[in-house]
Amino acid sequence: MLQILQDILGGLWETSGLAGLAADPMKLLMMCVSFLFMYLAIVRKFEPLLLLPIAFGMFLSNLPAVLPEDMIFHAEYWNEQQSVDWLWKVLHDGGLLDKLYLGVKLQIYPCLIFLGIGTMTDFGPLIANPKSFLLGAAAQGGIFFTFLAAGYMGMSAAECGSIAIIGGADGPTSIYVSSKLLDGANSNLNTGTIALAAYTYMALVPVIQPPIMRFLTTEEERKIKMPQLRTPSKTEKIVFPVVVTLIVALLVPSAAALVGMLMFGNILKESGVAGRLVDTAQNALMNIVTIFLGVSVGATCTASNVANWDFIKVLILGVIAFSLGTACGLLLAKFMNWLSGGKINPLIGSAGVSAVPMAARISQQEGAKADPTNFLLMHAMGPNVAGVIGSAVAAGVLLSVINY
Amino acid sequence: MHPLLLANHLIMLAGGIDGDKRPLSGSEKWGVTLVGLGVVIAALAILVVVIMLFGKIFDQINKSQRPKSPPPAKPKPKPASTPAKPSAPVKAKPAPTVPVPDSSNSENEEEVIAVISAVVAMMSEQDGKTYRIKSVAKSRNTSLSNRSAWAMDGRRQNVKPF
Repeated sequence: MLQILQDILGGLWETSGLAGLAADPMKLLMMCVSFLFMYLAIVRKFEPLLLLPIAFGMFLSNLPAVLPEDMIFHAEYWNEQQSVDWLWKVLHDGGLLDKLYLGVKLQIYPCLIFLGIGTMTDFGPLIANPKSFLLGAAAQGGIFFTFLAAGYMGMSAAECGSIAIIGGADGPTSIYVSSKLLDGANSNLNTGTIALAAYTYMALVPVIQPPIMRFLTTEEERKIKMPQLRTPSKTEKIVFPVVVTLIVALLVPSAAALVGMLMFGNILKESGVAGRLVDTAQNALMNIVTIFLGVSVGATCTASNVANWDFIKVLILGVIAFSLGTACGLLLAKFMNWLSGGKINPLIGSAGVSAVPMAARISQQEGAKADPTNFLLMHAMGPNVAGVIGSAVAAGVLLSVINY
Repeated sequence: MHPLLLANHLIMLAGGIDGDKRPLSGSEKWGVTLVGLGVVIAALAILVVVIMLFGKIFDQINKSQRPKSPPPAKPKPKPASTPAKPSAPVKAKPAPTVPVPDSSNSENEEEVIAVISAVVAMMSEQDGKTYRIKSVAKSRNTSLSNRSAWAMDGRRQNVKPF
C-alpha cells in the first residue's frame, strides 16, 4: 500500500512543473525576463500593445512542463524540416501557441497586417511628390549592405537574407521573409528571434535615428523649409494602388502578396464605398492579428533560442542594418537637395525606412528642433510610405534570389 | 574582384542561391547586394516615372474640365421668376430655398449670392461633381406662416428626434 502511494506521488512529482523547472532552470530565468517586459509594458508604457502580448507569450512558453502534451508551445517543432507530416504533427500534437504560430510560419499574419496598414495609410504625400519613392528605395540600402556584412561573418544565404531584412524596419516584412527562408534545417536562427529583433529596433527608432540624422546633416540643411504639397484628386488615389500592385507584381512577383494586400487595404479606404470593411481591417482585424502575432512570437523566446551567440549576432547586425538604412536615405536626400539647389530638407531621407509613422515623426521633430516653424511631417510621410513599398520589393528580391 | 567574374556570378544568380548552411562566396555576397539594390531602385524609379505621368495626365484632365463649368463665384442670376435649381441633384433632401433681399439692396444680394456660390463650390469639391447655379430667386412659398426656409429647417431638425 505504502509502495503504491509512493509510486503515485513519485509519478505526480515527475510530471509536475516543479520537476520540469528543476530539469531546466533556464526557464526560470526566461520567466524573469518576461516579468521585466511586462513591467516595461504596464508601468513604463513601453509599446504596451505589442510588448505585453510578447511578454505573456514568453511567460507561457517557458512555463515548466515535463510531458510534451502539457506544453503550450514546442520550440523543438520549429527547428525541424517542414513538410506535410510536420504540419500534421503540429496540428495534432501541438499546443495552442504552436497552432497560433502557424499564422507566422505560413505568412498569414504579415499579409493581414499589411492589409490593415493599407487601410490606415494615406499615399497622398507620395502621389504629390513621387520622387519620394527614390528615398524609400535608397533606405533599403541598409538591407543589402547588411546582407554583405552577414555574408562576411560566414552566414548562409538564408540567414543573411533573414537578418538583413530587419534593416527595412518593417516587422511584418521581416516575419514574411524569415518564415520563408528559415526552415529549421538550414539555420540555428528562427523567425521568432528575427521578429523580436525587428520589433525591438522599430520601438527604438527615436533612439537610433536622431544621432545619425544630426551627424550626417548640417544645421543649415535641417532648417530648409519645403513648399506645400499639392492635393491629389480622389481618382489619382484610387488608381495608385492598382498601378503600384501591377508594376511591382510584374517586376518582382515574390513581393506581390505583401504589396497586393497593402494596396488592397488602401483601395478599400480610398474608394470610400467600403466603410465597414475599412473599419474592420483597421480595428478589429488588426487587433486580433496583433494579439496572435505578439503572443506567438513571444512564445518562441525560449532559452535555447535566445540565450545563444546567434541571437546576439542578429541583434548586432540588426542595429547595423537599421543605421545603414537611415544613413542611405539621408545621403540620397542630401544629394537630391544639392541637385535641386537647396529645396529638399535632407531630414526627410531618414523616413525612407518604413517604420510608419515613427520615422516621419522623428524627421518632423529634428526639423522643428532646428527651426520651430519648420513643418516636415507631410514631406517625410512620402518617403515613409515609399519605404513600406520599398522594403516589400526588397523582400521580394531576396526571396527571388535565395532558393528556399 | 574581376568584373568578368562578377558578371558571371550575376548571371548565375538568375538560378538562385541555395539557402542551405553553406557560407556565401565573395561574388555571391556582392552579387546579391548589387543586384538587389539595383532592382529595388529600378522598380521604384519606374514607379516614380509612372506616377509622375499619371499626375500630369490627371492635371490635364482637371484643367480641360474646368473651363466647361463657369466659376461658381460669378453666377449670373436671372430675373426672379425661376426658382434656384442645380443642374445635377445635390442630395435626396432638398436644400431650403434662400430668400433674396429686395432688389434695391444690391450689395446684400451680391453677398447672399456669394455665400450660395461658396457652399455649392464646397459641395462640388466634396463629392467631385460639377454644379451650375442657373438662378437665385426669392421663394414664393408663403404657405407656412411666412417663416423663412432656414427657420423651417431649424424647426424640422428640432422636432425630428421626437
